Amino acid sequence: MCRPGSYDPPMPDAQITSTHLKIGMEIHVELATRSKMFSRSASTAHPDQFNVKPNSLVDPVVMALPGALPVMNKRAVELSMMVGMALNCTIANFSRWDRKNYFYPDLPKGYQISQYDLPLCFDGELEITSSDGSIKRVGIIRAHLEEDTGKLSHELPGGGKYNGSLVDLNRAGTPLLEIVTSPDLQSAEDAVVFAKELRNICRFLGVSAGIMQRGHMRFEPNVNVIIKTEDGSENATPIVELKNLNSFRAVHDAIEFEHERQINAWSDDGIVQAPGLKSTRGWDDTKKITVLQRAKEEANDYRYFPDPDLLPVTISDQWKSEVAASIPQLPMQLRLRYQSEYSLSVVDARALTEERDVCMFYEQCVQAVDCSSITQANAGLACAKLLLNAGARLAREHNCQIHELGISAKQIAQLVIMRIDNRIGSSAADELFSLLCATHEEAQVVAKSAGLLQVSDEKQLNEWVEKAISAQPQAAQEYANGKDAALGRIVGEVMKLSQGQADARAVGTLLRSKLWGS
Amino acid sequence: MPERQTILGLVDSIGNKEQRCVDIVQQYLDRIQQLDKHLNCFREVYAERALDQAKKVDKQIEAGKDVGPLAGLPIAIKDNIVTEFGNSCCGSRFLENYKSPFTSTAASRLINSGAIIIGKTNCDEFAMGSSNEHCAFGIVHNPWDSNCVPGGSSGGSAAAVAAGLCTAALGSDTGGSIRQPAAFCNVVGAKPTYGRVSRYGLAAFGSSLDQIGPITQDVKDAALLLKILAGADEHDSTSAQLPVPDYLAQIDTPIDRLRVGVPSQYISEYNSDAVNEAVRNAVEVYRDQGAEIVDIDMPLTEYGVAAYYVIAPAEASSNLARYDGIRFGKRAEIGPDENLTDLYEKSRSQGFGPEVKRRIMLGTFVLSAGYYDAYYKRAMQVRRLIKEEYDSAFAKCDILLGPTTPTPAFEIGEKTDPLSMYLGDVYTAITNIAGICAISLPGGFQRSNDRLLPIGIQIQCNAFDEQTMFRAARMFESQTDFHKVQPELAKTGNL
Repeated sequence: MCRPGSYDPPMPDAQITSTHLKIGMEIHVELATRSKMFSRSASTAHPDQFNVKPNSLVDPVVMALPGALPVMNKRAVELSMMVGMALNCTIANFSRWDRKNYFYPDLPKGYQISQYDLPLCFDGELEITSSDGSIKRVGIIRAHLEEDTGKLSHELPGGGKYNGSLVDLNRAGTPLLEIVTSPDLQSAEDAVVFAKELRNICRFLGVSAGIMQRGHMRFEPNVNVIIKTEDGSENATPIVELKNLNSFRAVHDAIEFEHERQINAWSDDGIVQAPGLKSTRGWDDTKKITVLQRAKEEANDYRYFPDPDLLPVTISDQWKSEVAASIPQLPMQLRLRYQSEYSLSVVDARALTEERDVCMFYEQCVQAVDCSSITQANAGLACAKLLLNAGARLAREHNCQIHELGISAKQIAQLVIMRIDNRIGSSAADELFSLLCATHEEAQVVAKSAGLLQVSDEKQLNEWVEKAISAQPQAAQEYANGKDAALGRIVGEVMKLSQGQADARAVGTLLRSKLWGS
Repeated sequence: MPERQTILGLVDSIGNKEQRCVDIVQQYLDRIQQLDKHLNCFREVYAERALDQAKKVDKQIEAGKDVGPLAGLPIAIKDNIVTEFGNSCCGSRFLENYKSPFTSTAASRLINSGAIIIGKTNCDEFAMGSSNEHCAFGIVHNPWDSNCVPGGSSGGSAAAVAAGLCTAALGSDTGGSIRQPAAFCNVVGAKPTYGRVSRYGLAAFGSSLDQIGPITQDVKDAALLLKILAGADEHDSTSAQLPVPDYLAQIDTPIDRLRVGVPSQYISEYNSDAVNEAVRNAVEVYRDQGAEIVDIDMPLTEYGVAAYYVIAPAEASSNLARYDGIRFGKRAEIGPDENLTDLYEKSRSQGFGPEVKRRIMLGTFVLSAGYYDAYYKRAMQVRRLIKEEYDSAFAKCDILLGPTTPTPAFEIGEKTDPLSMYLGDVYTAITNIAGICAISLPGGFQRSNDRLLPIGIQIQCNAFDEQTMFRAARMFESQTDFHKVQPELAKTGNL
């Protein structure tokens, strides 16, 4: 028998029949506003400030000097509303700021301005495509805005031990959106799918650069395991909050590790979840294990009370609709559209919506295909193929994103039209793609001067075909005798002679008529 | 000793080039030199800076340039209002050598109007106190009787104005800290409506109660200063986005058929006889000018202090958490075996005085889990009821008339029990709880033995109705001479 919090081992005959994970997520998102949450000091989460010196983003408010007062950053509230709306939350009509009081050197005021009982956003949900292909719903309990703390370090900037603690207040006061989900996730894979989807949403909304290594998004899964035994009983292991997860890989591995660890722990001690038993464990990325940080939920008394320095936030319907109007299409919606309208595969649609800027570029390319003979659907498919083949390969080579290669959306569109009009062959198209990355000239002009235009002129083709047949007499004979495979060798010869310019399809037709006489 | 002069009096003589600013400033510096050793009003005096600025103003006047409305006038500010020059210590050992990198909005507005900040005045530590006995830098003495307290927490400012050590001064008022010392020192002290004056640069005590305001020799000077101090400030979200009327415009025009509310609770057996007498006299002064005297019942008056001594310490306990010894101010030495908690405990134990510690503990207690509902939440409910009581009172009258304090100044060391000190705030703390405006005026004297101790009369007005407050105050002042009576010390230089 397992009483909550008891130390009785489980019954020896209680064989485990199944286990499943129960995961809720707490996510902190640093909002990339230009200035901090309650001061004019520049914010460290803004791309302009990514590499600044310690304690350079401070002012009297950040330093909590006598007489300094917080002033709310309205933009941070708007960005939070956008996230809330993207997560199908209710946006509060009335919200306010509370003080969470505790002492720590990274907390200059001795309290954090947060939202206690009246969060900006609540009661939302996000649908994710689970690893098994099914659609799963993840409940969003609340999303509230607060300010980030500074950082403590025991190393000198740039490395080197320091005998003491150093405080860097650059991060202090950065707007921080805390999102809390229901415990609806059931596997490490789904937790990662959710985390990636949320990151993409934040990137598409432009509220965060979403670089996990910089701490822009911090995922803290709350994990426990429901263990079913032969005798029909269900046992929930004590909840563990996981910290220090700096990558999706770490999120996945830490949850997997906990799955096993908690089952083993329960088998040993039989302890099940009970109030106050929640513990905190940190992920050791080198050893690939979780390490106990805080054994029991401390009875911290933060003495929350409404911050008298700030006015409550009243959110009018008009403000809500203005913010709603500024929300772009989000990855999930875009993927569905690409699949249904452009007939893209699930894989391709996902690839194009991983990065906001790439996706925006793709959209521009499709829009730029301005040709009466091409449907929007064909343009969508052709652009996708071009970007995900030639584009993705070049991006990998140059270690950049597709939209950063230097080729413009207009050039891509020109290239797509040339390809569909059969003015250029597939390998020449790849080459032209590469050339266009270094020039602003039109695709047609560059293709011509580089000799990449496809030749369909019958006289010229005939000449190359004759030469190819003389150069590959054996293959010609084999093909004439009905060995289809030999055709490739002759076509290859033609392409060699034409330096890739010959229209491969026309060459095939010509060879068939010549050698088969049909 | 030269005559004590009001701001408006000096503005005229400077404008008419009867007096040079540099001479005026030098006179005040001389007075400080001569008298402040007896009074201890000043924490710091900015003699050199003041004379430099006075010379500049003189040059501007000579060149016929436009100078601000306060050009060349020496004004003192309380030690908890920060400036980027000098130290800003808040009367605390914790901030003994603290230099602010920025200047408060209130001080900036004075400076931008041409005022010369002559020094910072002593106050109870972080403005917590009603006697100035809780100043880390020595007790301030009352110019009327050096054995008596000047009141607090803006005791240095009030005593300095009364003794003629500056033309006027800034104080801050969380529960009476401008009005009570003004009453004890026979000067005018105005607490503006919450939100009227920016709190940016005022070291926070009770953020929902704190207001900066003027301490002056008469009502007109107070009106002039508030006009300059008041107005929205982008650095303070709680500053009101409202236009500021010209408080001087109609100040000498009596209000026709003024309705003067006199709550029955304000004339009380807990007041000294002389205080009750002064209030009755004030009622007659208004009646004589055709005012309608309205009987008002304000039964919640006695709960003001209780609500105040929950809410103010609660906010203070959080506001003072920033004094942790990490970034600035007092930092205790700790041994190799001691940790972060020791650093916090020692720095705060050594840096704060007993009254501040008491209020931090009180505030921490009332916000704690399990006590929040019984104390903080309950106090906030009382606060709402008090506001409603004031609302219904102001539906029946234009001003509320009563005493500023139950008694005149008490002797240094007389009140050893904190509670008896707190109860002295009965008529003032409730104003801050309601968030409205009030002014204390010289309203009489209490003679005991051979001493003459001033009595303050308080006029409370509805939120953002300072215009009525000043006009009504002027009606009383114009018919009385109490404000003209100066302590011996200010007249003769002798104690």
